[in-house]
Amino acid sequence: MALTTAPDPTRRGTGSVRPPATRRGTGRIRHGEGLAGYVFLSPWLIGLMGITAIPMLLSLYLSFTNYDILTPWSEVEWVGLANYERMFTSDPSWWHSVRVTLSFALIAVPLKLAAALGVALLLNRAWRGVGLFRGLFYLPSLLGGSVALAIVWVSMFNREGAFNSFLALFGIEGKPWVNDPDWALETLMVLAIWQFGAPMVIFLAGLKQVPTELYEAAAVDGASTFRQFVNVTLPMLSPVIFFNLVLETINGFQGFTAAFVLSNGTGGPVDSTLMYTLNLYITGFTDLEMGYASAMAWVFLIAIAIITVIFFSTGRFWVHYSDGEDR
Amino acid sequence: MHPATPTSVPDGRTYRTPLLRRRFLRGLLAAAVALPLVGAAAACGDDAASDGKVKLSIFWWGGEARAQLTEQALDLYTKKNPDVTFEKTWQANQGYFDKLATLTAGGNPPDIFQIDDNFLAEYAARNTTLDLNKYQDSGDLDTSKFPPSLLQYGVVDGKLAGVAAGENTQGLVYNKTLLTKNGLPEPTTGMSWEEHVAWAEQVSKKTGVPGTQDPSADYKAFWVWLRQQGKDLYAGSDLGFTAEDVTRWFELWKGARDRGATPPPDVIHEGNATDITKQLVVTGKAATSWVWVNQMPELKKNTADELGVIAYPGDPSAQWARASMYWSVFRGSKHADIAADVINFLVNDPEAVKLLGTDRGLSSNLDLRRVVSDDATDPAMKQSIAVESELAEKFGESPQVPIKGHSKVKAELVKAGENAQYGRATPAEAAAQFVEASKAAIAS
Repeated sequence: MALTTAPDPTRRGTGSVRPPATRRGTGRIRHGEGLAGYVFLSPWLIGLMGITAIPMLLSLYLSFTNYDILTPWSEVEWVGLANYERMFTSDPSWWHSVRVTLSFALIAVPLKLAAALGVALLLNRAWRGVGLFRGLFYLPSLLGGSVALAIVWVSMFNREGAFNSFLALFGIEGKPWVNDPDWALETLMVLAIWQFGAPMVIFLAGLKQVPTELYEAAAVDGASTFRQFVNVTLPMLSPVIFFNLVLETINGFQGFTAAFVLSNGTGGPVDSTLMYTLNLYITGFTDLEMGYASAMAWVFLIAIAIITVIFFSTGRFWVHYSDGEDR
Repeated sequence: MHPATPTSVPDGRTYRTPLLRRRFLRGLLAAAVALPLVGAAAACGDDAASDGKVKLSIFWWGGEARAQLTEQALDLYTKKNPDVTFEKTWQANQGYFDKLATLTAGGNPPDIFQIDDNFLAEYAARNTTLDLNKYQDSGDLDTSKFPPSLLQYGVVDGKLAGVAAGENTQGLVYNKTLLTKNGLPEPTTGMSWEEHVAWAEQVSKKTGVPGTQDPSADYKAFWVWLRQQGKDLYAGSDLGFTAEDVTRWFELWKGARDRGATPPPDVIHEGNATDITKQLVVTGKAATSWVWVNQMPELKKNTADELGVIAYPGDPSAQWARASMYWSVFRGSKHADIAADVINFLVNDPEAVKLLGTDRGLSSNLDLRRVVSDDATDPAMKQSIAVESELAEKFGESPQVPIKGHSKVKAELVKAGENAQYGRATPAEAAAQFVEASKAAIAS
């Protein structure tokens, strides 16, 4: 702990401070070594520039134009802020997709994290066959945002689907879940929550890091299991919770595949599954309004960045790093 | 320091891991935040032409059967012109136009591509398609045997943007087996819309299978109905109808739903997909579907039942000789002359046309159309040829090719129609919503 708690006047409060020894060393790097460094970096650097940075900057430029994919670049017209203006003032479907995405993320992300943490707590105990269950619970996440999974979901939750047959066993009459505008988005939420394997594995790793001495000490002091969870597990786990929260929120906002497959790429029924990214895709590729779609993408990027910043700035009040630096 | 941090841990394990873990988590976070949300991958590729040999790229949508027929026809061209070979790409209809647009944006569009009237104006208005008038004038592209209205249906702003690859028209496909089994009459061309709904109600009551798909969200049914009211989908660069027209159309189908002539809204929604395999007449969820006549053989493959096909209800002269799809040439193609020759071959060469059959609709070349129909053996194909030839005598004048923004208008009709079908809006509200959104869509 001595390393990170060493006072550092330039970067107070950040955790990625390098030990002073390394920093002094950088001054001595000769030109040849610098070049070698860049050579070693190049696979990543070329990828970053070519596949991420340059297209991103191009799309920033396009967001101020009326680019429609088919027209050659040379004939594209600069329209200033018109795309951004249209988004906020005269595009009801944009606002609608914002609402759909927000309600998706606000409901699915907390439930997914709760499910992941709950199952991780169960699987953190030593009992026979626990390894098998860890594998089984992780399995849905391996399938990820796959098209195949979304197709299975559609056939499970339509009128004749397996889920309604299951309900029928109890005499409950089901609904055409995926084809009902009141339930289609909820069906997608269930799919997202069901894939809690990835945060679960991270929670499990986090739980393993909590020193058993703390529980022993708490038990000696007479803390109940619930008190131990609230006062030991949660604080010790808070960095992992924070990590999962940020990551899953970003994932939640970007949900695309399932909505695309479920609605045949339309966002239907009646726009109930018109997630932001799906709306963006339709605008860009079907309606051929790529300039406008680029503007939508940038507003989206900025919105996610703002939400992430909010997470980070509130994190200091509840995220506890056990290496001694309270933030 | 947190008070809980143990200070007496003897080994270095717990000393090191929190730091590592924290670094690791931060690193992962940074990576996640920086993930490319924005940006499109650029396509790359080069075509190298050398020693007089030419390779043309050609792109179409369709199923397995169409791919086989088209490949055979193109191979035939190569046989006759050994210097010309093809890079053939095809895929299902869904996603086809996304791909075509992306290829165009990437500077790598196919020399020849298949396109339909939903997108022809979008592409022609942006000069993505080559004006084929000069090949038509020079005779390299022979359209003299085409029905004039079919040829005209490929003209946008005075430019020949696409050559009809086949002719078709709207077709109401019904489940013959179901009707005969229950002793119900088959529908006939010329029934009014009211009669159709009454017939469908009767079918629902007797068989338990909803009599007809509700086509209120289907632009082609709406279009035919509009033309029977003396209106049209488009008039110049404006809409050819008013909110009152749409209200009447939605009310007609609300009446049908209330009478039990149609399936419940979620099933209607399933049938609103353009996918042939999802049409309710083949999934058994309705006795009738609203399709194109040339889709008959493909529909037949998806059901064991006998199918019949007639015109949409009302006066059949509201229907027209529609180009089921076109062949277009990319404006920047380096081999435009050869591309035009290939298209000429595909629509006018007797052998090629015979190979292609009626997969893309009736042959555009009237002389060859007769030859193909005489040779047809597949019963479903024969049936569609018979119905189309019969209807061809009743066809009215072709409307103008749908204008730029049409694909969005279509999507808006689905949205508004379904809003009414699910009972979330009254016909008048849904109609107002549709007209407003459509005006915005065609405005730009």
